[in-house]
Amino acid sequence: MMIGILQAKCKLFLRNPLLFVIFTGMSIVFALIIGGAIGMNTIHVPVYAENETVQDSFIGEYLEETDVYQFSWMTKDEMLEEISNGKAEVGAVLQEFDYQLIVGVESVNTAMVDQTLRDAYMRNIQLEQMITAAGADTGRERENVLEELQSAMASPVFTIETTSFRSSDSFIYDNTFQSLFGFSLFFVIYTIAYNVLPILIEKKDGIWDRMILSPIKKWEMYVANLVYSFFAGYLQVLIIFLIFRFWVGVDFNGRFLETLVLLIPYVFSIVALSIFLTSLMKNAEQFNAILPIIAVSMAMIGGAYWPIEIVESEILLALSKINPLTYGMEVLQGVAVYGYSIEELLLPISILLLMGVVFMGLGIHLMEKRHV
Amino acid sequence: MLELVDLSKKFKQNNAVKNVNMFIEKGEIVGLLGPNGAGKSTAISMLSSLVIPTKGDVRFNNKSVIKHPEPLRRVIGMVPQEIALYEDLTAEENLKFFGRIYKLKGNALKKKIDEVLDQIGLTDRRKDIVKTFSGGMKRRLNIGVAMLHDPEIMIMDEPTVGIDPQSRNYILETVKRLNHEKQMTVLYTSHYMEEVEFLCDRIYIMDQGNLIASGTKDEIKRILSAEKAILIKSNRWNDTFITSLKQDPTVNRVIVEEKEITIMVPKEINMFSSLIRIAEDAGIELNSVDIKTPTLEDVFLHLTGRALRD
Repeated sequence: MMIGILQAKCKLFLRNPLLFVIFTGMSIVFALIIGGAIGMNTIHVPVYAENETVQDSFIGEYLEETDVYQFSWMTKDEMLEEISNGKAEVGAVLQEFDYQLIVGVESVNTAMVDQTLRDAYMRNIQLEQMITAAGADTGRERENVLEELQSAMASPVFTIETTSFRSSDSFIYDNTFQSLFGFSLFFVIYTIAYNVLPILIEKKDGIWDRMILSPIKKWEMYVANLVYSFFAGYLQVLIIFLIFRFWVGVDFNGRFLETLVLLIPYVFSIVALSIFLTSLMKNAEQFNAILPIIAVSMAMIGGAYWPIEIVESEILLALSKINPLTYGMEVLQGVAVYGYSIEELLLPISILLLMGVVFMGLGIHLMEKRHV
Repeated sequence: MLELVDLSKKFKQNNAVKNVNMFIEKGEIVGLLGPNGAGKSTAISMLSSLVIPTKGDVRFNNKSVIKHPEPLRRVIGMVPQEIALYEDLTAEENLKFFGRIYKLKGNALKKKIDEVLDQIGLTDRRKDIVKTFSGGMKRRLNIGVAMLHDPEIMIMDEPTVGIDPQSRNYILETVKRLNHEKQMTVLYTSHYMEEVEFLCDRIYIMDQGNLIASGTKDEIKRILSAEKAILIKSNRWNDTFITSLKQDPTVNRVIVEEKEITIMVPKEINMFSSLIRIAEDAGIELNSVDIKTPTLEDVFLHLTGRALRD
């Protein structure tokens, strides 16, 4: 009998695939454009050095080595022109011990460029302090100290392996994965929620009453509906990931299958969250009004639009701890960007499963209690 | 066969149903009449085991339905007030879906679907998507779905709301036929008096959660046997006319509507001449004067002071 419900749901899906297609398409388009997966992996940042020595110093070398941003040296006028023409979002004026950001478009890249420059200057200061402490005054002495330092760094006494990617030291920003995972996990909230919503509509319309009077068990009715919503959501992300893997050519760092498997807890938690939300709403209109607010808030504080690592507000960070999207991003970035093993991702996976169980339990309980 | 015993339902501060007692015998068509908000839907939801009563019991063949709903659920067919169908599926797909959840399959299911489509007159439209149907066709399919498992008891909650007269007659005839040919027991709720008069053997009248009258059609009409109703029509009324009517010692009650006034007087009184005089004195031009034998509508007016569709 559960199969009967699933068959009916599949037929309804095939008759009205528009929403699914729209959300899948939007995820792909946004991830392609914003993620820069089509030939725009490095972001161009024009820089002008007020002091010529900066370009040849450690700061210049550090900026050259950065993968995510391509820092291009030019004159001040050229830099300003590029920013005013919109060719670059942000530029920088570099001095010996300080820098200025010239912001054309306020975006996530502004904060990221700022962080990269701050890192370069901090390390430069550290280096200078070490050279001073070593008592090196002449150019030759400085070179000797630097060589010794480099060889010491190459063979350290002990190494520290960082396991928490929340630490700013180990933060890796990959724009392609950030956008791909962010938009996929964001738009799938809509697909899942709009597939759970019919439970509320069918209850109002008396279809559930008809089923309750039939030999089918109530748990079978819930399971069939939730299994269908789960597969609709999972199918959407699967299609997106398949397109990026085999058409766009994004290599999930060789862990494509694991990424697909580790998507399951997130999709499950969103199905559960949707049933919880449905249980709180009186009608479909209320649900339609509240869903975008919830989904966009979740995306903003869960790191779907920008990396959560750049969020500094304690309140937003605290809120992100009760947001399934935060853990969904952690799991997917953990596996595809940081290369963590499943054991290392057990904590966010467990939290997602726990959230799923709690939301599901509360949602079904409230629905039954209110007889909606 | 099926009984409601001191049944009450309270939603927060609202007493939707208050101490209702009712019974339905095998093979009869029972009408449950009342205006919107009278508590009819809540009462039949409790009767069909979908809502748990705050107080009282529902008994099917002398067993509590609240404790053991399965025996009743097996034999009940429910036609809800809403169109409880998947509008994006065809008529046949809807019947197939609901047939399957009643464990029908294969040839038996196919045969049953053909039979039901024939009974509700939708054989030609079986492959059409429900959302393309007229209101009347949707209502017929709504009833068809409830007939799939050959229920012994059919509970119909205002099954003709908002449809054209032709579909309405079709539905009423279908209900009569099911009762006659299959001895199906029917509980039919409506606020259309003429439907209940046409279909039902016995009638219960509800208002504001209370059961205010019950009996056969004749028994209920006999409530007004000592009175007759005079229906007068005019384009306008004034206060002088209405006050004079109410003050007339031969008049029992006056029910004023926009263009109609119903005057209840004792059966033996002839007030034609005095009615004309009162109208002349008040400057009212009467369009018609009609003396009626009491209808169920009049009984409802008598019992509640309000028209059924208020």
